[in-house]
Amino acid sequence: MTHRHPASLARLLPRLLALLVFLCGNQMAAHAGLAIALNSADGTLSLIDTDSYKVTGKINVCKEPHHLMPTPDDKSLIVACAASNQLVFYDPLTGQEQRRVRDISDPYQIGFSPNRKWFVATSLRLDRVDIYDAADFRLIARLPAPKTPSHMAFDDASQFVFVTLQDSNEVMAISLPTQKVAWVMPVAPTPAGIVMSPDNRHLLVASMGEGVVEVIEWRARRSVRKIPTATAAHNLQPKGDGRHFYVSNRTIDGSISLLDTQTMSVVEKYDVPGGPDDMMVRADGKELWATARFARKVQVVDLVSKQLKLSIPVGSSPHGVFFLNHAGLR
Amino acid sequence: MIDSLTESFVFLQGWLLDHVVQPPLLALGMGSHLEMAFDGIQFFLAGVLQIGFAYLLLRPIEAWRPVEVWPDRRAVRVDVLYSLLDRLGIVPLAVFALLAPVFAFIDGWLRLHDIIPPQIEDIFPALDTRPLLAFLVYLLLLDFAEYWRHRLSHILRWWWALHAIHHSQRRMTLWTDSRNHLLEDLIGGFWFASVALLVGVPPGQFIGLLLVVKTVENLAHVNARLSFGRFGERLLVSPRYHRWHHALHLPPGRRYRHGCNFAVLLPIWDQLFGTQYHGQDLPPCGLAGGPLPPGAERSGFWRQQWEGLQAFAAALRPRGHDAGERQPEGSHAG
Repeated sequence: MTHRHPASLARLLPRLLALLVFLCGNQMAAHAGLAIALNSADGTLSLIDTDSYKVTGKINVCKEPHHLMPTPDDKSLIVACAASNQLVFYDPLTGQEQRRVRDISDPYQIGFSPNRKWFVATSLRLDRVDIYDAADFRLIARLPAPKTPSHMAFDDASQFVFVTLQDSNEVMAISLPTQKVAWVMPVAPTPAGIVMSPDNRHLLVASMGEGVVEVIEWRARRSVRKIPTATAAHNLQPKGDGRHFYVSNRTIDGSISLLDTQTMSVVEKYDVPGGPDDMMVRADGKELWATARFARKVQVVDLVSKQLKLSIPVGSSPHGVFFLNHAGLR
Repeated sequence: MIDSLTESFVFLQGWLLDHVVQPPLLALGMGSHLEMAFDGIQFFLAGVLQIGFAYLLLRPIEAWRPVEVWPDRRAVRVDVLYSLLDRLGIVPLAVFALLAPVFAFIDGWLRLHDIIPPQIEDIFPALDTRPLLAFLVYLLLLDFAEYWRHRLSHILRWWWALHAIHHSQRRMTLWTDSRNHLLEDLIGGFWFASVALLVGVPPGQFIGLLLVVKTVENLAHVNARLSFGRFGERLLVSPRYHRWHHALHLPPGRRYRHGCNFAVLLPIWDQLFGTQYHGQDLPPCGLAGGPLPPGAERSGFWRQQWEGLQAFAAALRPRGHDAGERQPEGSHAG
């Protein structure tokens, strides 16, 4: 009579752990035309083939990544991980992780100054704006910025960074050379996205509370116009022609407005459901991609037919999208 | 199937945000809380699903194989109310509203002084890209902390005065888990959130962790002859295991003076810290004495809150001047 010994736990455990690690690990593949969508609640990146619009991979990144942006040389895509206190760098061609920079406190929105000297991170949750040396991410200054500093914009000369303060309904200007608050001015309720106009004269501020884009003559610190778009106007993205900006109106029934900065008026509007948030325009100007924050999708708008072309299912709370083959960012 | 369920869930979540939550938030100038509100709606909907799951799955088991059969379930109704307040997010929302500014202040102050609170991923960087593994690690650490929270709530007189409300129920059912004094909810919330912050649990996983804990707790209180088997009973807190925690009369032995079987998810903590009792029978539940007035098991919601506060105040007075330690030796302190 023979006995079959049960496999010992000591022998099985490493295999089980290896299986677990495999199951928990990353699934990704290399891509030719690669778009990367950032899913905040999942802590993942969805890799999308820009030709077939298929999701071809998923990368686990960190806790609560909220925004992404390319480095000025386009060699890396930086993902800001708010809850992990990290910046994670990816190759925008392949989606391969390049490196991690730790001890970056609660980075929410991030941005490089045009002269590439400063790297700025807002901490929405903790009411801070941090200024780093862009060369080595060494902290230079940490400024209190109540309340809820969100998006940012720079002037062409890299003298100022302008930050929207969502809960105090203000825009704060910080002098970059001195790292001091230069001024704070009131704006329309719940300001979110902010960009500099192509002529460097005006700040365009999306107001969620009022559903407008407010035009600020920043040198005079005065509001000169409010352009109605739709409820919950949230973010702005350049079309790349040095004149127009897309404005996402982040509601479930959502829409995206096209704003002309010469006439300071809305010239087109597209229905984009699901809470459109972050956007990016294809280099040929034929498509606009937008993350649908409340629908777990990336929406692709055909800019020729001006219709929603298709929806790409991604992860939970998609908050950023990027591809290298994009239109100009001014 | 799963895709269409997810799609429906997300649609409903978005619809509630757009039509119910967003308009007042924007009108009140609280637009920056929209993303948090979206998560809150998810918590609410998950609570609805969880209550539905409890009612449709656990309630029939209670009817099928009850440990105790009662002439009526009037005494259970107040526990249903507690469950609705807890699971649908009303109590957690209030706790969150009270605690979030405190945590933001502490965290903000630390960072302004160049202190970034360390996280478990700083020790094990591999967890950065393995969220499922990280979830299990968080669950283990939080369950360990919950064991000690629970044990302390039996040891500290002022805490026991509040926690006794939970134990005063003689008709323990799946709804009993949420029967807690509101002040204890606040203290428990502070404890759980502090540990979660210390460990570095992201908000997205926080909801998932809470759901796992609450689901097992629902199951642990069920009035049903439900066995996990000899091995299973040592792996996960079962109704039988937890029933001994609620027993009217504790097992004999000095080590059970403050109660036994404090574990919330994993019985191993009781085994490690010498508070484990594996009884085979199913004892009656309730308090044989303790800080609450006689008949407290029949009190309604507001009366229980008042009685808990009175017992709490009495327990804070110096010994010798209070009635907070009225429990006879050998009867339940937990």
